[in-house]
Amino acid sequence: MTESVKPVASTWCAGCGDFGVLAAVKKAAAELKIAPHDEVLVGGIGCSGGIHNFLETNGIHALHGRLLAQAIGVKLANPQLTVIAAGGDGDGYAIGMGHFIHAFKKNASILYIVMNNETYGLTKGQPSPTARLGYEGNIENPFDSILTALSIPSHNFIARTFSGDPKTMTAVLVEALKFNRDGKGFAFVEDLSPCVTYNDTFKEWREKVTDVAKLPGYDPTDRKAMFRLCLETMESGKIPIGIMHRPANGEGAADSLELKLLPDRTGPARADITLEGNRAAYDKLLQRLT
Amino acid sequence: MTTPAARTTPFVAEASPAKEVPSKELTDVAVMIGGQGGDGTLTVSDQLGRYFRKRGLHVYSCRNVLSRIRGGHADASVRACRAPTAAMKPEVDLLLAFDEEAIEIGLAELASDGLVMYDSTSFQSKVPNSFGFPFAMTAGSQLGRPIYKNTIAYGAISVLMGFDPVVARSVLEEKFGKRGGEALEKNLKAFELGRAAALERPELARRWTVLDGDAHGWVLTTGNQAAALGFVVGGGRFFAGYPITPATEIMEYLARYLPAFHGVVRQAEDELAAVNMIIGAAYAGARVMTSTSGPGLSLMTEGIGHAATAEIPIVVADCQRVGPSTGEPTRHEQSDLSHLANLGHGEYPRFILAPGTVDDCFHMTADALNLAERWRLPVILLLDQALCQNTVTTKPFEMTGVAVDRSNFLTSGDVANLPKYAAYQLSENGRSPYAPPGTPGVLAQITGNEHNEMGHVSVNPVNRVKMMRKRMEKMVHARNELPGPHLFGDASARVGLIGYGSTFGPIREAQAELAEGGVPTRFYQARTLFPVPVDTLGKFLDEVDVAYVVEHNYTGQFARLIREALPHHHAKLRSILKYDGFSFRSPEIVRVLRGGPA
Repeated sequence: MTESVKPVASTWCAGCGDFGVLAAVKKAAAELKIAPHDEVLVGGIGCSGGIHNFLETNGIHALHGRLLAQAIGVKLANPQLTVIAAGGDGDGYAIGMGHFIHAFKKNASILYIVMNNETYGLTKGQPSPTARLGYEGNIENPFDSILTALSIPSHNFIARTFSGDPKTMTAVLVEALKFNRDGKGFAFVEDLSPCVTYNDTFKEWREKVTDVAKLPGYDPTDRKAMFRLCLETMESGKIPIGIMHRPANGEGAADSLELKLLPDRTGPARADITLEGNRAAYDKLLQRLT
Repeated sequence: MTTPAARTTPFVAEASPAKEVPSKELTDVAVMIGGQGGDGTLTVSDQLGRYFRKRGLHVYSCRNVLSRIRGGHADASVRACRAPTAAMKPEVDLLLAFDEEAIEIGLAELASDGLVMYDSTSFQSKVPNSFGFPFAMTAGSQLGRPIYKNTIAYGAISVLMGFDPVVARSVLEEKFGKRGGEALEKNLKAFELGRAAALERPELARRWTVLDGDAHGWVLTTGNQAAALGFVVGGGRFFAGYPITPATEIMEYLARYLPAFHGVVRQAEDELAAVNMIIGAAYAGARVMTSTSGPGLSLMTEGIGHAATAEIPIVVADCQRVGPSTGEPTRHEQSDLSHLANLGHGEYPRFILAPGTVDDCFHMTADALNLAERWRLPVILLLDQALCQNTVTTKPFEMTGVAVDRSNFLTSGDVANLPKYAAYQLSENGRSPYAPPGTPGVLAQITGNEHNEMGHVSVNPVNRVKMMRKRMEKMVHARNELPGPHLFGDASARVGLIGYGSTFGPIREAQAELAEGGVPTRFYQARTLFPVPVDTLGKFLDEVDVAYVVEHNYTGQFARLIREALPHHHAKLRSILKYDGFSFRSPEIVRVLRGGPA
């Protein structure tokens, strides 16, 4: 057995919401029997982005805000890998916002987990894009990822979970990963993951989270209905959680980026690039010039 | 030869003397075609280029366009000669002008014995040796659309230059034959109208004879196309980019070529995404590239530093244009070298390779992929607008010399025999073999944070020093593997010329002119710019009294790098600089070496 890298102990504060995500990712991967060497965890910059070091998988630590671009690159190079991008709300919704929007549109089959704590914890508590009015002097309106995600016409899996409920989170991540592994497209899960040091919202969020699946009119295949349901829940002072959107059976079945580009799932990383294996095709290619 | 239809064509009689001039034989001819952007000005250049190629001539052509879809002055120049060339002729022999502005602009480039052929539909030129034909009016009245003026002009030029009419027609048959029907029929008619009109002008007809060449079987290409082909044969399979002049064609060619090879091309949402997508794909084990130009390069800079520190092999083609900022998007410059040599925050290794010819573009792109993977770092392919976009005839690309070196890549079989796999294993030369994710039995952690051998974040000072040395010393240990210079000219000459990129063509022509005038020179065509090739360049400078570094920028960027690396040669170095947006013409170099102003 060849010795290689092992996970290290987490560097998070005791009680951090991100522990819930770490546990749920481990359980979901175990439930789906994903081999560690076939899994890639792409971490963002910020406390939460360190998650790749704490899991027994392959990891790549991306630049700030660029984890989705790197994760999509990984997936398109080798569609057989299970690719999970995980980072914070500053990483995803501020510096990485352009890539965030485009990830829904691209629809590559990767899972993106945003650990939202409404603050920049690692740099000691500046307001993030989701920060509420008044937090550390914040005078800008908070961003809502679920409403944004629902507004992009594509064939994605969209959900929100809460670190205080790791059991439900595990179940959602299993669904999200199945969606990816079936080649159906992009899965986005925002996890409400409180920063116990700079913005401890555990108690408040536990009271406010509302499982949309239990609300009348819940239908995750109906984008319009879910947008209204989420908005009404928010307007009533609650926070909607649960699976917010998934395509109806059959809808978008072949819409994932990697399957449109690589129907046989053999990507650039596994392509034969030997000169011997390509001799005839290269000759033909070069003859196109004459 | 005139057809009955052409006899009735209402061409305006010209007031120039109608006497027969004996035909002059040309072995090197240049034509400039000017008009408004989007009205088909390039068509004539293309048709002439195709004809010349059929006659075994070497062809080089360039375009001068504005950064807009239609309108504004645009011109194209095409040169044909019996010797291989990679430069524009210093002066043009024929100016074909579709409007008055094209005459004003083109006259600056016209040889003293050159001719002007112009569209007299809306004006009469008083310029000497100018011949008006109502191209647009004839096209409109005879063929229904003014756009056929281009092919009418081609027909007229074919008479002026004594083209074989059957071969000249075959150019159109091949070009429009696929579309067939009206396009072919009307273009052939336009051609005959132009021929007939020119034949009625005895002072023009067969005034020149362009002699045939022997470059049969050569192909017409650009640096961008050659780089795209080199990428494919070098095993490149993943490309992400963002449209930017003059780099976009690399992406467009690869979008056509790569799908047949399990390859992927993505147009990203911006250059930040493009560079990070290729980083992700390279991490996963694919051979990757992006191409960009100045503004995009600035956005990619953080990613390139990440690739160097995380030791992820990427190739970045920088198709230089006039900078800084948006600069002049369609114009030529070589002003990114200083930026690239010092790219990014902190310190990290990178190789900067500079192809000088389309053949270099083909082979060195493949080389760049090997070097990037073998040394796990970013390799910059430094191109420039003229090299990227000007078309040139070249011998068909050969696979000889192309290799796919995967010696730094660990397969599952390789890792099974290792007691331990560490993605950043320290080594004598800084190289660490790599196993991509998906390799059974092993895992890796890859990061742009400072890290230990296993890829875990570390700020240990002893580790930091070891890792810095491991990365930085790649630039020393790899030296002998980097593309060497090409040396041209008189090996005993005491006057040296140093250049890179598309200055290759003008410098070679300048050398020939100087040699004829009794001034022997030797030319060091640098193909690796960074790390500065101190061994070969030092030897070159040892053997000359003076060396002129020819480059397209204001500050003499390569000369400055050479001075830094070889300070004892400081006094020998001179600069010949040009930064007006256009390529060198050989006289601009010759003049300086003969003692004129730089």
